[in-house]
Amino acid sequence: MTLTRRQFLRRTSMATAGGLVAPSLFGDPFLKRAVAQTIGDRYFVSLLLSGGNDGLGTIIPYDNGGGSLRTDYESVRRTDSGGIQLDAGPGSGTVEGLDQAMPVNAFSDPNTGAQLSFHPGLQAFRDLYDVGDLAVIQACGYPEPNLSHAVSTSVWETADPLGTLAGSKGWAGRHLEAEYLPAEIPAVTIDSSVAGEFQQSGTSVLAIERLSRFGFPYDGDYPGDDGAKQAAFGALYAEAASNDLGAAQFVGNAGVATALAAQSYPQLHSDYQAERAAFDGMYDDKQLGGGTSTSRDLREIAKIIYGTAKGVANVDARFFQLHNGGYDNHSNQGGGDPTGRHYRLHREVSAALEIFFDDLADMAQGQSDGRQNLPDKVCVLIWSEFSRRIIQNDNGTDHGTQGPMFLIGGGVNGGVIGNHPNLDAVVLDDNGGNTPYSQTGAFRSTDFRDVYGTVLKHWLNVPQLTVESILPADTIPDPANYWTVRDFDLPLFL
Amino acid sequence: MGNQNSTLTEAEARHLLRRTGFGATQRDVDKIIGKNETRGQAADRLLGYKPSKFRPRNKDIEISHNKWVKFMVRTKTPLQEKLVLFWHDHFATSNDVVGDPKQMADQNRLFRLNGKGDFRVMMNAVNRDAAMMDFLDTVRNSKKEPNENYPRELQELFTLGVFDLDGQPNYAQEDIVQIARAFSGWRTDAKNVAYLNENKHDQGTGDPGDPFPERGPKVIYAGNLAFGSGGFDFGAAAGTNYAAEIDEVMNAIFAHQDSAGRNTLAHWIGYRLITFFADPDPPNSYIEAMVSQSQFDTSFIVADLLREIFISDEFYAPLTDPTKLSVKWPVDYVVTTLRLLGMKLKSRYQYVNGGSFNNIRDELGNMGQILFEPPSVFGWDWEGSWVSSATLLARYGFARDAIAARGRGRTTFRPERLFDFAESPAVDPDVVVDAVAALLGVGDSFGPGSAERTALVDYLTDSMGGTVDFSDFDTRDMKLRGMVGLVLQSPAYALH
Repeated sequence: MTLTRRQFLRRTSMATAGGLVAPSLFGDPFLKRAVAQTIGDRYFVSLLLSGGNDGLGTIIPYDNGGGSLRTDYESVRRTDSGGIQLDAGPGSGTVEGLDQAMPVNAFSDPNTGAQLSFHPGLQAFRDLYDVGDLAVIQACGYPEPNLSHAVSTSVWETADPLGTLAGSKGWAGRHLEAEYLPAEIPAVTIDSSVAGEFQQSGTSVLAIERLSRFGFPYDGDYPGDDGAKQAAFGALYAEAASNDLGAAQFVGNAGVATALAAQSYPQLHSDYQAERAAFDGMYDDKQLGGGTSTSRDLREIAKIIYGTAKGVANVDARFFQLHNGGYDNHSNQGGGDPTGRHYRLHREVSAALEIFFDDLADMAQGQSDGRQNLPDKVCVLIWSEFSRRIIQNDNGTDHGTQGPMFLIGGGVNGGVIGNHPNLDAVVLDDNGGNTPYSQTGAFRSTDFRDVYGTVLKHWLNVPQLTVESILPADTIPDPANYWTVRDFDLPLFL
Repeated sequence: MGNQNSTLTEAEARHLLRRTGFGATQRDVDKIIGKNETRGQAADRLLGYKPSKFRPRNKDIEISHNKWVKFMVRTKTPLQEKLVLFWHDHFATSNDVVGDPKQMADQNRLFRLNGKGDFRVMMNAVNRDAAMMDFLDTVRNSKKEPNENYPRELQELFTLGVFDLDGQPNYAQEDIVQIARAFSGWRTDAKNVAYLNENKHDQGTGDPGDPFPERGPKVIYAGNLAFGSGGFDFGAAAGTNYAAEIDEVMNAIFAHQDSAGRNTLAHWIGYRLITFFADPDPPNSYIEAMVSQSQFDTSFIVADLLREIFISDEFYAPLTDPTKLSVKWPVDYVVTTLRLLGMKLKSRYQYVNGGSFNNIRDELGNMGQILFEPPSVFGWDWEGSWVSSATLLARYGFARDAIAARGRGRTTFRPERLFDFAESPAVDPDVVVDAVAALLGVGDSFGPGSAERTALVDYLTDSMGGTVDFSDFDTRDMKLRGMVGLVLQSPAYALH
């Protein structure tokens, strides 16, 4: 693919204004190649777009190509009041004055040859795609799709649509508990609770909202008593953890890991603030699209990666999860209107990732320790529990099934794989959507478990046989609709 | 099964009060023991409250939030508030979406007034509740643009559940689509009263003029045991009285039978209430027994079901089976602590007076539970999901704030008001452990010879053994506050 340097000019000039010259990773082909040799040097970030992101409002059919994709799109997404259609741009023969999808760097749907484009809120996605650091995996889903937020989220977290595995361990959790010891902390969720994909009981996963608040709270009037309190606290929790008593043991283990991390993690925050002040501010900069929960959550991840890469004692987390909510737009979705909800959500995620990767690129500058080539060692997987109905309602969309996933990072093989969902009215069901009871396999292009498996095998270097045990195939012998042939070799990594 | 005539032991009384309220003070326990109350008598007394008309109303949602917390700290009928919390989670509605604290306050009162009563009355009120109609888009559901949001959650979460006790599906996508037609056109007026705008209602006449003939008759639950293969035609049942369509839908939902012929709604609500009050992972047999013995599947009176639960042996099982213990909700943790320590929150922003000076809403937010802002329509995730490093630290931080609240007045924590160890040069540390554990209602977890007791004794004596010298104010103050804090932060106190 073509590597050009046309993006991130805004960023570079901002950085210069702040006295910092930060060459962007994405503009420099020489920085891209040095992918880490082992899992031990890499990082994985899972980003959930919670609520069901509208795929058709994310990747927009731009022309018909060899089929009728644009025409079909215009028949299901309206332009009148409450319409959420995006225009294909001047001269396209569609209604003037609509919000435009981004025509530059549009890419071809492998099936129809139709040009596709990003929603205009996804500026950085387009930039990343342009330099080959973003892969679009179209129409990801699973058999017997469920339209409940909770059920479908759980399906994606456990990678177990048919409920064949016992328990509710997360797909990444099954990898973590096999690889790490109980006292190790390989994963962190930026939230108040541990992400579903990390759930398991074999190793410790932290949930941290802000590192600055992660210190253990002592009574400030008697600092001399802190040691005695710490000892008693440790004894109480060790006792609980040593018993096989259900909830008590669970609370015990969580407390032991918390107390341990509370001694090392808050320092990461202070170090980062002191040593990376310019980038620290960018995550809050509204002009750059920062100042959002996504940008601030990513900053916490950047702090931990910074600490891990520098080799700070007792910090070695390499798996992260964060989420952005608000995608459940049954109403007030907006098309390409910059004040609309979907636009703002896209802009939030896109801008935050841009800041994050620029931060990583700057961290790596001139370093020969774990920070070297850092952006090439970080991979971000973006997913949503489902997409939304093809046919819109009044300025919104009801729950649908499959949608696009994105993979971002310097080690990612940029491009597009899988086919865009078919929008032809004759294949839509009675209700104008690709609902579960249509049960046709026509809409699902890639089973999301193939993406997970490819990440495990090619990013985390997990052997094929182990990946197969982490992600067992559907046992129903119906290759048309079920996941019986697994492909963990999707061309997603360099 | 449960015996309503068996006299409550002290441990059982404490457990009953903890689960149905916010902690157990020794006074309340003594009241039950002193009167030799039976399980049935205690349950009747707890359930016998007259519903309050209180609603936490303010134009600022933060103040509404803290008004409710304050009400919980002071209430004399804690079970009523436990039920409001339960229904707030069950019918999870977020002001993040609604953006109208007054509507949220009205909904809160609705839960209080109907919390233990006839669930049919509750559902009729929820269907027409302004906050709910906004939150789940009923007010945006029209014949031209059907909206499935409320009809989906109505069945999935509020009444039936996705699957029955045997794992069989209770309804289909088609039922959601059809019920959306019943709710189409329902709007609220300026006074937040629900009414049907018939122009926006999908009348579904099937007449030649019907703009949507492809939607067919308004039939739901075809093949359900209660209705047979033809299902139930709520359109035909309501006729031209279109506003009655949702009542006909509710009649069908209350009559719905699961794959084994059980009343689906009664067992779903039974399951939810049992997981909240009694057993986080109840066997089917327990749910079935509670529903049939209380006749909740015909009466739908919540109090009848609760009484059956509160007298059942399973309810008291956690006293002997630690795997049945439950993680306290954050709001339970906070309100219980304030009640047991005899503390009030300070100022209208309701902060705890020591340490972080976070207001109570922020403290609860850090623990993962901001009232009026459940994370989604699914409410909060309970049990293990309450427990993470972030939320544990938030709990530890609140405990620290409470025990470090110094100064005068009722917003502070003063050990000397609760313990009498003043000027004592040689205090037996076991006596101190007993006093603190009893105050916080966790005496059973710090019994003689336990590792937990040893940890606290070592803390008191700085691992030197022997007695502790409490003649000096600073040592006494430091160790008593410290030990209350440690017990508040302990695994035992996190569970009940």
